Amino acid sequence: MTERITPAMVTASTLNDLNSSLTALERTSDELSSGKTILEPSDNPYGASRVIDLQSQLDGLSSYETNAKDGISWENTASSAMSSINSAAERVRELILQAANGTTNQSDLETIALQVEQLTEGIKQAADTQYAGQYVFSGTATTTRPYELGAGDEYQGNAETIGRAVGPGATVTVSTNISTLLGNGEASGDGKLLDTLRTTIKNLRGGTAADREALTNTDLQNLDGNLETLSELQATAGSATDQLQAALSRNEDLQTAISESLSNTDDTNVAAASIAYANEQAAYNAALRAGATIVQESLLNFLQ
Amino acid sequence: MSIPTLQGLQTALSGLLAEQSALDVTGSNIANANTEGYSRETAVLQPNPPLDIPAISTLTGQGAQLGTGVGVQTITRIRNTYLDAQYRAQNSALSNASTQTEVLSQAQAAFNEPTSASIAAQLSSFWSAWNSLADSPTGEAGEAAKVGVAEAGEQLARTFNELSSQLSTIASQVGEQYSSLTGASGEVHNLATQIAQLNGQIRLSEEAGQPPNTMLDRRDELLDKLSGLANVTVTEQSDHTDIVTFGDAAEPLVEDTTVNWPQALTEASGGELGALLNLTGPKGALTGLQTGLDGVAETLAATVNAQLKTPFFSGATATTLAVAVEPGEVQASDNGVSGNNEAALAVAGLRGGAAEEGYAALVEQLGSDVQDAKDEQTNLQTTVTAINDQRQAVSGVSLDEEMTNLITFQRGYQASARTMTAMDEMLDTLINHTGVAGL
Repeated sequence: MTERITPAMVTASTLNDLNSSLTALERTSDELSSGKTILEPSDNPYGASRVIDLQSQLDGLSSYETNAKDGISWENTASSAMSSINSAAERVRELILQAANGTTNQSDLETIALQVEQLTEGIKQAADTQYAGQYVFSGTATTTRPYELGAGDEYQGNAETIGRAVGPGATVTVSTNISTLLGNGEASGDGKLLDTLRTTIKNLRGGTAADREALTNTDLQNLDGNLETLSELQATAGSATDQLQAALSRNEDLQTAISESLSNTDDTNVAAASIAYANEQAAYNAALRAGATIVQESLLNFLQ
Repeated sequence: MSIPTLQGLQTALSGLLAEQSALDVTGSNIANANTEGYSRETAVLQPNPPLDIPAISTLTGQGAQLGTGVGVQTITRIRNTYLDAQYRAQNSALSNASTQTEVLSQAQAAFNEPTSASIAAQLSSFWSAWNSLADSPTGEAGEAAKVGVAEAGEQLARTFNELSSQLSTIASQVGEQYSSLTGASGEVHNLATQIAQLNGQIRLSEEAGQPPNTMLDRRDELLDKLSGLANVTVTEQSDHTDIVTFGDAAEPLVEDTTVNWPQALTEASGGELGALLNLTGPKGALTGLQTGLDGVAETLAATVNAQLKTPFFSGATATTLAVAVEPGEVQASDNGVSGNNEAALAVAGLRGGAAEEGYAALVEQLGSDVQDAKDEQTNLQTTVTAINDQRQAVSGVSLDEEMTNLITFQRGYQASARTMTAMDEMLDTLINHTGVAGL
C-alpha cells in the first residue's frame, strides 16, 4: 500500500487505464470488423497453424469436388458414346437375323451389307468421342483418335488409365479401354467388334452357302460375345460414375464439417463480441469520466 | 539575569529565516511537480543550541536551558535507493521483452499470416493448380493449366524469396541497432560519460558540504535510462561516487570519473542490448525463423521434384527457391504420353504434406514466441508501473501536501513575525516608557 498519492501517479495510472481500455476496445472492434479472431499468429499460435491446415484441406476438397464433377461429365460422355455403340451393334444383330432369313436374295444382302458398313463407321465415330478436347477412349493418348475413320481398324490409343483424384490418396479411373471391345479389325482376327463387323460384311457379300451359314453361326455368336463385353464396359463406367457421385456427396459432408471447424477456430462470435464491445465501451467511458474528474481535483480548488 | 535583552528578536528572526527557507523549498517542489526524475526535497529544521541559564529559580537554585530558535540543517531529497535498484532490474527485463516483442512482431508481420498473400495460401493455390492440370493435361485447357502451375509456382517461390529477404533485413536492422547503441557516440557511451562527470561533480559538492540534490537526481535518471539497455548494478562509494556494472561486461562501465567502453557483451546482458544479441544469436528466434523457412523451402523443392522427371523447382533455400521450367515444360505426365496425368496427380497429392506441416509448425512457433514475449512484456510492465508508483509515493511531489506545507510555513512565518512584534513592543516599553515617572 502506498502512503502518498501524487498527481503524477494519478495521471499516469489514469492514462494506463485509458490505454488498456482502449486497447481492448480496439481489439474487439478489429475482431468484429474482420470477422476473425486470429488476426496474427500470436493471437492463437495453435489456432493459426490449425487454420492453415484446415484452409488447405478445404481448398483440397474444393479441388476434389471439381475433379469428381469433371470425372462424372467424362463418364457421361463415355457412357452415351457406348450407348450409341450398343444400339448400332443391336441394329447389326437384327440385320444379321434378317439376312439369315431364307427369303433374302443377294441384292437384299448387299443392301444389308451397306447398312452394316455405315453402322460400323458410326461405331468408330462414337469411339472417337471427345470430352473437353480429349479423346475419351484413347487411354492416356488423349490427343490421338482411337480409330481412324474409313478402312483402317487399328487401335491408335494405348492401354494406360486416367484417374481423377477424389480424396487424399483416393483415385477413380475414368478412362475406358475401348480396344477390349473394338479390337484391331479383321486383319488381327481378334474376334472383337470391328473384326466381327468386317467379317459379317464379307460374309454378307460372299454369296456362298458357307457364308450364309457363317452369318448365323460364328458372326452372330461373336457379336453376342462382343455385346456382352460392351455391357461389361458400360457397367464399369457406371460403377465409376457411382464412385464419383459417392465421393462428391462425401466431399460435401466433409466441406461442411471442415468449414464448421474452421469457423469455430477462427470466426468471431458476433453476439459475444458485440456484448464485449458494449461492455468495453462502457468501461472506457467510465474511465474517461472518472479520469477527467479525478485529475482536476486538488486542494488548490478549495484554498482561498 | 542572564538572558540577553535582544535574544527574543534573534529567536524570532531565526524562525522567520527558517520558515522562509522551508517556503522556498516548497516553492521549488511545486515548480518541479512535473519534472522527470525530480525527487521532492525537504528543509530539515533543527533547534539552535540552547542558552544555559544557571539559576533561573531562586527557590530551588536550578538552572535551565532557553531555546534560541531554529536553523536549517540541510535541504535533503527524499529517495529510496532500494526501490531504485528494484526499478532498474525490472526495467532491464521489461526493455528486453519489449525489444523481443517489437522485432518478433515485425517478423510476424512479414509472414503475413493469415492472409491470401501468405505462403500458406499460395501453397494451397499451388496444389490446386497441379490438380487442375491433372484434370486437363492436354490441349488448350492443358496449356492454360500449365501456365497456371508455373505462375502459382513462381508466385510461391517469389513469396519465399521476399519473406527470406525481409527476415534478413530485420536481422541486419537488429545488428545496426546494436552497433548504433554501443558505438563511439552511441547511447551507452553518452550515458556513461555523463554519469562519470556527475560522479566527479557530486564528490566535489559533497566535500564542500553542499548536498548536490539536483545532480543526484540527474545521475539516478541516467542510471534508469542505462538500465533499459542492459542490467546495471550500482554501488555507491563513501565519497558518493557510483560504480556502475553494465550487462556482463568484464570491467565496470563507470568507476569514479572513468568510463570503460566499448566492452564485449553477450546475450545474457539483459535489457535491449541483450535482446538484440539474443535475437540474432545462433539460438535466437530470428535465426531460427530463417533456418526454419529454408527447411520448408528445401522440403517443398525436394518433395515436388521427386514426383517429376525434370525438377520443377531449383534452389534449396528460401532465398534461392525458383521455378526451373518454362510453362510449356511443366509435366503432367510421368511417361511422356500427353494425356497421362500421373505426375500432376502425384504433385497435387502432396497437399498437406511435409512442406505444409513444416510451414504450419514454423508459424505456430513464431506465433507462440511473439505471444510469450508480449505476455512477458505485459507482466513486466505491470511490475515496473507498480515499482514506479512506489518510487513516486516516496519521491513524487504531492501538490496537496505542498499546499498544506505552504500554509503551514506561511503561518509559521506570520507567527514568527508576530513574536518579533511582541518583542519589539516589549522593548519599546523598556526603552521609551521606563524611567520617566513624573515627567
